[in-house]
Amino acid sequence: MIAYLHAAPTLLSHCEDDIIVNQENYTTLPSRPLRILAATACIGYGFTEVALHRALSTGIDFIGADAGSMDPGPFYLGSGKPYVSPEAIERDLRLLLKAARQHDIPLIIGSGGGSGGDPHLALTREIIERIIREEKLRAKLAIIRSEPPRELIAKRLEENRIHDLWPGLAITRQTIMDSERIVAMMGAEPLQQALKMGANVILAGRCSDSAIYAAIPTMLGYDPALAWHLGKTIECGATIATPKTGQDCVIGTLAADHFTVEPGHPEKACTVTKVAAHTMYENPSPYEFVEPSGLISTKSCTYEAIDSRTVKVAGTTLEKAPVYTVKLEGAALAGWRAVMFAGVRDPVLIANIKSFTQKIQERTRDDVAALGIDASSYTLTIRRYGLDAVLGESEPCADQVPHEIGLMLDVVASTEKLADVVLAKARYIAMHTEFDGRLCTAGNLAMPFSPSDIPVGPAYQFSVWHAMELDDPLEVFPIEMVELGGEEITQ
Amino acid sequence: MTRLQDVASVLRSKNAGAFVLTIDIIFKDKTTYASVVDGGLLTADSVAAAYHVDPSNVLITPYPEVQSLKVTMPRRTGSGDLADSDVYGAQQHVPLMLLELPDTTVV
Repeated sequence: MIAYLHAAPTLLSHCEDDIIVNQENYTTLPSRPLRILAATACIGYGFTEVALHRALSTGIDFIGADAGSMDPGPFYLGSGKPYVSPEAIERDLRLLLKAARQHDIPLIIGSGGGSGGDPHLALTREIIERIIREEKLRAKLAIIRSEPPRELIAKRLEENRIHDLWPGLAITRQTIMDSERIVAMMGAEPLQQALKMGANVILAGRCSDSAIYAAIPTMLGYDPALAWHLGKTIECGATIATPKTGQDCVIGTLAADHFTVEPGHPEKACTVTKVAAHTMYENPSPYEFVEPSGLISTKSCTYEAIDSRTVKVAGTTLEKAPVYTVKLEGAALAGWRAVMFAGVRDPVLIANIKSFTQKIQERTRDDVAALGIDASSYTLTIRRYGLDAVLGESEPCADQVPHEIGLMLDVVASTEKLADVVLAKARYIAMHTEFDGRLCTAGNLAMPFSPSDIPVGPAYQFSVWHAMELDDPLEVFPIEMVELGGEEITQ
Repeated sequence: MTRLQDVASVLRSKNAGAFVLTIDIIFKDKTTYASVVDGGLLTADSVAAAYHVDPSNVLITPYPEVQSLKVTMPRRTGSGDLADSDVYGAQQHVPLMLLELPDTTVV
């Protein structure tokens, strides 16, 4: 174990050598390992106070927390809304801001508000400012935006400096202009710039998860391959710890030639399998991952349990990217959604379900056309839960006859009103359409509640998913500095 | 008859970005892992047939460090597209789970 692990925080704060990241410049390679706290996989998913405070008592140089992901789908990017509640964001941020400011260590928040777009940052900034005010803290807050100007993206497309990511998605100037929102995923450099400008709290827009943790170490001169790999390993918080009971803090310790990871919570443990398996989590390859700065390879890595709860990793390599690129993520409005969900229990109807759903499609098309509505202005997707709704044509058990099916009628139309109109027709048709051997002539569906039709609101789809070359890693990431608990310092 | 679910301790699927699906199979023991990998029992063709994708788009990577195989392929639709059925891609492991291994598998 590392000797200073159990050193009291007061000792750390009184010993010059032990202060690593509060120094004026970030140019000297420190003589001791760097201690990094990854608070949670996502701000708003939570962590335990036990783990946070235990971690802080062992000496922590900076706190990082990811706040976003595109996993929840295109709606949150398109609409500007968070996918966790503002209440949950506030709970996590309050604990982290108090901890970071009381220990005078940097706090780096990546992909603020979930998608890192301007409205997501505005929402998170408001929460941060409220907490700072209420808790009577002082902070130098950097806000790093990540929505590149559309004209710049379009120009890069013209210059062939936008590249497909496998398996490829068509992109045109029109796609770029029509998207509701496009964010670029920043690397470590904008975070480093904000630190150089004096920030001790960074609210970053869309940001590489690993960059949150790699920015400070690479600035200080630690091995970048290990720093990025450590970042990748801890960015999902306690996902690498067992037992996996909710989200929690993880501590990464970066030395000159290796790093270690351990859970913040005293009753959890990191295992070699969990740590090694994490490089393959949500990643196409188990051996490599791409960051703006280059390709990080774990092919030569060794993983070793150094005690019952700590894993040591060494051997990561980095191949510098020949051209600096950032990932672009864009969402476009696809229409307005309205849905209805009902149960089908009649065995005769279930036996006829495939031809029945076909009939609903055909009759809806005809009846909606009779209202003067063009078929190109909406889509009706019929989802048959209990049969094949989840796997579609890949469902291996589609021939098994279920005793009950959950039928969802899913309409997306060009306007909110049109979605309601089409769904009302489709619902009536589904309720009353004839099928072979029908006995239930009073109705085909068990509606669980009234009203049956649910307006969902705008629906989005991912419209841009590409890599864009930058002239400079800071090019599309403007930084605004504000002093909270004091006066604004720069713009 | 042995299915992949009988020999796996973890069998999970998830998006790797909005347009790619990735499935991790962590085997219960190294012997089974080795017999599946060395015997070529899981192929791009068998995965492609189960998922209705082009075999040339199926990438299978052995990861001996954790006795596992990673299977990666394009998603049927983009995550959250109108015809999508699984935004996170979290339940797309099942065709692989139920895939029958050829009889030569050591269990």
